[in-house]
Amino acid sequence: MSLDIRPTLSALLRNRTGAVLVAAQVAIALAVLANATYIIVQRLETIHRPTGIDENNILVVESAGFTPRFNQTASVQEDLAYLRAAPGVIAATATNSIPLSNGGNNDSLVTRPGTARHGYINDIEVDEQGLDTLGVRLIAGRNFRHQEIQPALTRNDAAHFVPVIIVSRALGEYLFPQQNPLGKQVWDAFDHPATIIGVVDPVMGAFPASDHPERVFFLPRMPDEFIVVRYLVRTQPGERDTVARLIESHLASSNPDRVLNFVRPLSYFKNLSYLGDSSMELYLVTVTALVIAVTSLGVFALATFNVSTRTKQIGTRRAVGARRRDVVQYFMVENGLITSAGVLAGCGLALAAGYWLSVRYALPRLELYYLVGGVVLLWAIGQLAAWQPARRAASVQPSVATRSV
Amino acid sequence: MLTMHDVSKIYRTELIETYALRSFSLEVSAGEFVAITGPSGSGKTTFLNVAGLLEEFDSGSYLLEGQDVRGLSDDVRSRLRNERIGFIFQSFNLIPDLDVYDNVELPLRYRRLSGADRRERIGSALELVGLASRARHMPSQLSGGQQQRVAIARAIAGDPAFLLADEPTGNLDSLMSRQVMDLLEQINDMGTTILLVTHDPELARRAQRNVHLVDGQISDFRVYEPRPAASAGSAGTAGAAHI
Ligand SMILES: Nc1ncnc2c1ncn2[C@@H]1O[C@H](COP(=O)(O)OP(=O)(O)OP(=O)(O)O)[C@@H](O)[C@H]1O
Ligand SMILES: [Mg+2]
Repeated sequence: MSLDIRPTLSALLRNRTGAVLVAAQVAIALAVLANATYIIVQRLETIHRPTGIDENNILVVESAGFTPRFNQTASVQEDLAYLRAAPGVIAATATNSIPLSNGGNNDSLVTRPGTARHGYINDIEVDEQGLDTLGVRLIAGRNFRHQEIQPALTRNDAAHFVPVIIVSRALGEYLFPQQNPLGKQVWDAFDHPATIIGVVDPVMGAFPASDHPERVFFLPRMPDEFIVVRYLVRTQPGERDTVARLIESHLASSNPDRVLNFVRPLSYFKNLSYLGDSSMELYLVTVTALVIAVTSLGVFALATFNVSTRTKQIGTRRAVGARRRDVVQYFMVENGLITSAGVLAGCGLALAAGYWLSVRYALPRLELYYLVGGVVLLWAIGQLAAWQPARRAASVQPSVATRSV
Repeated sequence: MLTMHDVSKIYRTELIETYALRSFSLEVSAGEFVAITGPSGSGKTTFLNVAGLLEEFDSGSYLLEGQDVRGLSDDVRSRLRNERIGFIFQSFNLIPDLDVYDNVELPLRYRRLSGADRRERIGSALELVGLASRARHMPSQLSGGQQQRVAIARAIAGDPAFLLADEPTGNLDSLMSRQVMDLLEQINDMGTTILLVTHDPELARRAQRNVHLVDGQISDFRVYEPRPAASAGSAGTAGAAHI
């Protein structure tokens, strides 16, 4: 079946104003669609990177002593004993930071004492239940033992390090490229040494927004005296909210010398970290949807206009032998030509926009299959939007040829 | 060739029913040149539309080349229009965005003829109407008479059995009208049956037969001598007229 593209195209070229406008709309829509989708997918991938942490079953508890009588060491021991015995709890640890919250502690580690330091590495203080509480997996070495857990730092001995640490696989590879980090020594900011006794993977630390959120190490130490006390509590799957209510009511009144700041799911802090990404996504989705809606409307309006200004021509075509489907096809081909011109220009525009975004915002360059997907989608949308006007054209009676002047 | 018997065509609107054709019977033989006259609103265009399969009718029978056209599907009617019938309209009805060549090609494309076949037919049709040199002109670059000749070329390029013309000279001055009439006679001489609707008694007299319509019925018909040049047709043997 011949599509009669040549005469359709030459007729189109004699009447291009509307066609050019709609093609430009299609081009812009393609540039927006391809790049926005690409950015959204990247953000989603970022949000859903594996953390190695049992995110949905962990509670974060924060409390703060406020009277001179408050004894942090005793209070932490009492609280941990309570938490670990509470129904529905798998494990609990005291800690200094909240994983995935974009807030926490950093230290600098080097592999030889006295060498220049570069960069900071996220450290998380936990006790022997820390790894179990987070749900991260040891891939080499061993966990901390109870007797290895160091007492909390006081204001006076902030310079102390710990004898042993557990590192993420990513940190191990960073510190000791192509070597087994197990058993290796590292030195902290004050040149105190520690030995690596375990490697975990995968795991994400406290700073998902940083360049290397997976470079993290665990310290066996009770949380510092001069800050609030935080606990992480891992519950049985599905028990999180029940356990939250239970421990909240207990801890709120168990010690009159401190206040319970909050009991919150870990996912709350993660969501907060990605709030910017989420609103960016919503914004991009909205803008893209609007641009596509306006474009389909443009295609539809142009096709409708073309049909209604050409009823006599359609009647004449029918009179000289066009079947209904020939009329439908005529308008679909015309629309296809306009959309094709649009997507062709749109490919250039999308690549240019992608390049500009990648330079301006240091994003990876637009991947081509987003462009191909956008082309296919816009083509389909264009044909869909032209379908109803084309059907209307096909219903023009052949007698219009003699009846209209 | 074309036989209508007792054909009625009624236009219904919410307020009134108009009998555009009322018990209309007519027989046209192959090669005839029939002029249809009558006052405005008498049903001339309606007759042409029914005859040319542009419109359906309400009752009666209509045989086109022996085929009963009642109840034919839209696709079959389209094909018959495409292959057996050529139309010429008062306002030419050229597609304004297509040049002369593409306009003449239109019915041939709908007929799915090969490119070479189309080229040949377009060439000889434009040759016949004397516009071969204007193939790449746009309709807007032609005079009314030239446009109508392009329309005639389009109508005959497919070599139809019938040529139906509704006031083809209605928008032309007398000189151009005569040219168009000469052309129609020439085409008729080559064997094409022509039904011509006209207001102009001068032009009507050049046909072999006049059918006069009043109120959707034939009120009178006249037979003229066949033209000396006529090589086909059977003038003067027309069927009964309703008075
Ligand atoms: N689509 C329609 N709806 C209703 N009535 C119609 C329609 N088309 C034609 N008619 C009526 O049918 C009758 C015949 O119309 P037709 O167009 O056949 O007349 P005509 O002889 O061609 O007139 P004219 O010389 O003015 O072209 C008229 O009364 C007209 O008003
Ligand atoms: Mg009329």
